[in-house]
Amino acid sequence: MSERRRTHFGDTELPEDLQHVLRRARRLEWVTLAFLATAIALLYLVMGSSQAMKAAWLEDMLSLIPPIAFLVGARFAQVRPDRRYPFGRHRSVAVGHLLAGAALVTMGLFLVYDSGSALVKAEHPPIGTMRILGWTVWAGWPMVAVLAYTLVVPVILGRLKLPLAEQLHDKVLYADADMNKADWMTAAGAIVGVLGIGVGLWWLDGVMALLISASILRDGFGNITSAVAGLMDRTAQTVDMTEEHPLVRQVQDYLDSRPWIDRHHTRVRDMGHVFHVEVRFVPAGGRVDLARIDQTVEDLRAMDWKLDDITVAPVRSLREGETQTAR
Amino acid sequence: MTSLTSRRRSVSAVLAAALLGGCGIQIPTDPDGTLEEIRASGELHVGVSPHPPFTTLPPSEGQPPGGSEVELVSAFAETVGAEPVWVVGGEEALVKQLEKGEIQLLVGGLTEKSPWSTKVALTRPYVTTPEDGEQVKHVIAAVPGENALLSELERYLDGEGGR
Repeated sequence: MSERRRTHFGDTELPEDLQHVLRRARRLEWVTLAFLATAIALLYLVMGSSQAMKAAWLEDMLSLIPPIAFLVGARFAQVRPDRRYPFGRHRSVAVGHLLAGAALVTMGLFLVYDSGSALVKAEHPPIGTMRILGWTVWAGWPMVAVLAYTLVVPVILGRLKLPLAEQLHDKVLYADADMNKADWMTAAGAIVGVLGIGVGLWWLDGVMALLISASILRDGFGNITSAVAGLMDRTAQTVDMTEEHPLVRQVQDYLDSRPWIDRHHTRVRDMGHVFHVEVRFVPAGGRVDLARIDQTVEDLRAMDWKLDDITVAPVRSLREGETQTAR
Repeated sequence: MTSLTSRRRSVSAVLAAALLGGCGIQIPTDPDGTLEEIRASGELHVGVSPHPPFTTLPPSEGQPPGGSEVELVSAFAETVGAEPVWVVGGEEALVKQLEKGEIQLLVGGLTEKSPWSTKVALTRPYVTTPEDGEQVKHVIAAVPGENALLSELERYLDGEGGR
C-alpha cells in the first residue's frame, strides 16, 4: 500500500536502479503503443490499393502485440509465488513471446500468399487522387508522407529500449526493440512500392510487399525459436540469444573453487527475468557444515539480482552421466 | 566542408529534378500508357451498361447512348482531346473488357460498393443520390492500374463536382 511499492519479479526484489529501468521500459512501451495507434489510424486513412502499404499496415498492427505482451508479462511476473504457482509466474514472459511469434508467422504466411498471388496475376494496383483541403493530389504522396512518419519514430524507440531489455534480461522487450529497430526497412520498402506505382512500375509494389512479408515471417520464427528455447529450459542465454549467459560460467567457477566441494552438478535455467540455480554436490570427506551451504547460497545471490531462487543440496554421490551437462 | 555539403546538396537537387521532371517522368504514370494513347489516337473507348438515368440505350442503331454519365464522360473526353467511342453491353462483359484494357472507362450507374472494385479501378464518388432512402455514392470505372488516366478523370470530376 506504500506509495512507491518495491517491484518484484516473483519473490525476487529488483535492485533500486533496475526498478528505475523497469519503470522507464514500461513508459517507453506505452509511448510505443500510443505511437502505433496514430500510425495505424493514419495509414488506414491514406491506404489505397498498394500491397506493400497493406503489408506495412498489418505489420504495424502486429507490432502492438510485443509491447502488450511485455506490459502484461512483466505485471504477471510480479505476482508472488503461491500454492497454485509455486515457481512464480516468470514464464508469462515466454508465453507472451510465443503468442507474438505465432501471430507474426500466421500473418506473414497470409501476406506472402496475398502479395504473391497479386504479383502472379499481374494485378496492377490503382492509386488515384485524394482531396486534401480543397486540393486534388495524387494519393501516393500522402501515403509516402505517413510512411515516412512510421519510418523515423520506431527506430528511435527501438534504440532506447534495447539497453533496457539487456539490463532487465527481458526477451520480449528485446525482441520488440529489435523489431522496432528494423522497422524502418518496412516503411522504406512500402515507400519504394508506392513510388514504384507512381512511375508506372506496378510490379515493384508486389515485390516490396513480398519482402515485407518475408521480414514479418523472419521476426515470427525468431520469436518462436527464442520462446520455445526458454520453455524447453535451455541453459540461460544472453538476451540476444547469441551465447551462454556469463553467469552460468561464473556460478560454476565459484563452485569449482570451493575446496570442500568434491564434485558438483549445476544447472541454471532462465525463467524469464530471473534464473533458477540447482546445485547438487558431493562434499569432500563426505561431511559438510550447514553454514557453508548457507554461505554459498548467499554468495551466489550476491553475484547478481537474477540469481535468487537457489537450491544447494549435498548428495552422497552424483548419478552416472549426471556430470555430462557440466561441460 | 561547406562547399562540399552545398555541392552535394545541389547534386541531389539536380538528380531529383532529373528524376521527377527532366526525363519527362510524370507521377503518376500509366504502366501501359493509356492516357497518352488516348491523347495520341484521339479516341476514348467507353463501355456503357444501361442504367437510367445515368446511362440509357441509344434511341436507334448508329446513334450514341444517353444519360448523365454519358454526357459527363463526353465532356471529359473533350478535355483530353479525344472523341468517345461507345461500346454498349452488359456490365460483367464490359468489366472483362476493361480488365484487359480493350475499353478504357466504364459507366453504368456504378456505386462505390460495386463488387467489381477488386477487378478494376473505381474513381472517388463524384455524386451522391438518394435511392430507396439510402445515400448512394456514384463512381466511374477505369482500366486498373492506369493511374494517370484515373487521376486525370478524378481531377475533372472534382471540377465538375459539388452537384
